[in-house]
Amino acid sequence: MLLELFEWLGRDVRAFNVFSYITLRTVLASMTALVISFVIGPWMIRQLTVMKIGQSVRSDGPQTHLVKAGTPTMGGALILTAVTVTTLLWGDLSNRYVWACLVTTVGFGAIGWIDDYRKVVHKNSKGLSAKSKFFWQTVIAAAALSYLAFRANLPQQTDLIVPFFKTVAIPLGAIGFIVLGWFMVVGFSNAVNLTDGLDGLAIMPTVMVASALAIFAYVAGNKVFATYLGVPHIAGAGELAIFCGAIAGAGLAFLWFNAYPAEVFMGDVGALALGGALGLVAVICRQEIVLIIMGGVFVMETLSVMIQVASFKLTGKRVFRMAPLHHHYELKGWKENQVVVRFWIITMMLVLFGLSTLKLR
Amino acid sequence: MKEIWAHDVKVWATLTREAMLSPEGGGDQNAHVVRFWIITMMLVLFGLSTLKLR
Repeated sequence: MLLELFEWLGRDVRAFNVFSYITLRTVLASMTALVISFVIGPWMIRQLTVMKIGQSVRSDGPQTHLVKAGTPTMGGALILTAVTVTTLLWGDLSNRYVWACLVTTVGFGAIGWIDDYRKVVHKNSKGLSAKSKFFWQTVIAAAALSYLAFRANLPQQTDLIVPFFKTVAIPLGAIGFIVLGWFMVVGFSNAVNLTDGLDGLAIMPTVMVASALAIFAYVAGNKVFATYLGVPHIAGAGELAIFCGAIAGAGLAFLWFNAYPAEVFMGDVGALALGGALGLVAVICRQEIVLIIMGGVFVMETLSVMIQVASFKLTGKRVFRMAPLHHHYELKGWKENQVVVRFWIITMMLVLFGLSTLKLR
Repeated sequence: MKEIWAHDVKVWATLTREAMLSPEGGGDQNAHVVRFWIITMMLVLFGLSTLKLR
């Protein structure tokens, strides 16, 4: 919105043309999302407390978590509001990638909202059934991916790029692109949701991965950098750096309130939306494998649940003391803070490794 | 005497730590640490923006 305004003003005053740069708008988007979240945050937490929208704690979880019962949840609505408003303000609204990401994120947020609302307000402990949640996630992801697949006019927009190999690109075709994309978007959405079990555990890795994806989006959208680094050039993908910057800014501000001991939890409304957003940005930038590397903590948490369930069904034995993985370490004696900060450190290392794939190919 | 002194120091250290971690004793240490990290990240972001804003 502001881009059009500054372009119009730039015709008379050249100084306004500085706002056409994606890098500057990304930094400004991060700061705008931060400020919006800081301003709305305390008010929203008060409202959630007054409306008694408090988290219920799993009875079979670690005993130390029982004190968390009643902490306001659905704080993800704060992140969603900040990201949406910021992207509408600083993004190029004629860009189809921006709209695909915004609509998917808000759609996934809506699924999470309904789930949280039923759980908390209607005191329906099951919320939205797993099947219907999965169905609606699939519908939204398939719609966005089909739109992208059938609007793609160059092979590099749908090929699977293998990091570390400059010349390896596996042609997927439209159907392959949609299937892989679905796996990434729905998979990451649920992975972030599973990770969101300790204060600050999900949001900081999300901020780090989103920041790295902003760099990938910028490089993919810039023909000179993309050619130099040997990554596919996706015209228009650079605008996603602004969307990612907004996620990073809003996420950092949310962490202010979500740091141990949390004043608010993000709930499914935040976790499903953020995971879906990361997945879709990676799909558009053709960096699916790099996202799996950088989001290793989310992948580990999901795998721990799958291994635990499979092992228990097949052999009757548990591999972990408790799944997801963060509870396993808590039961091993790590303090909640230690688990959270150590998982952040692992994510930092993985993000650095992911970023190194830009040059190492 | 030495043992009593060591015991007293240990008790004092425990009480101080508990006081520091309690909201009455100045809030939760972890939240403060993380919030200072966030402020640093914001300042770094602002610092990086000077690369473009000149």
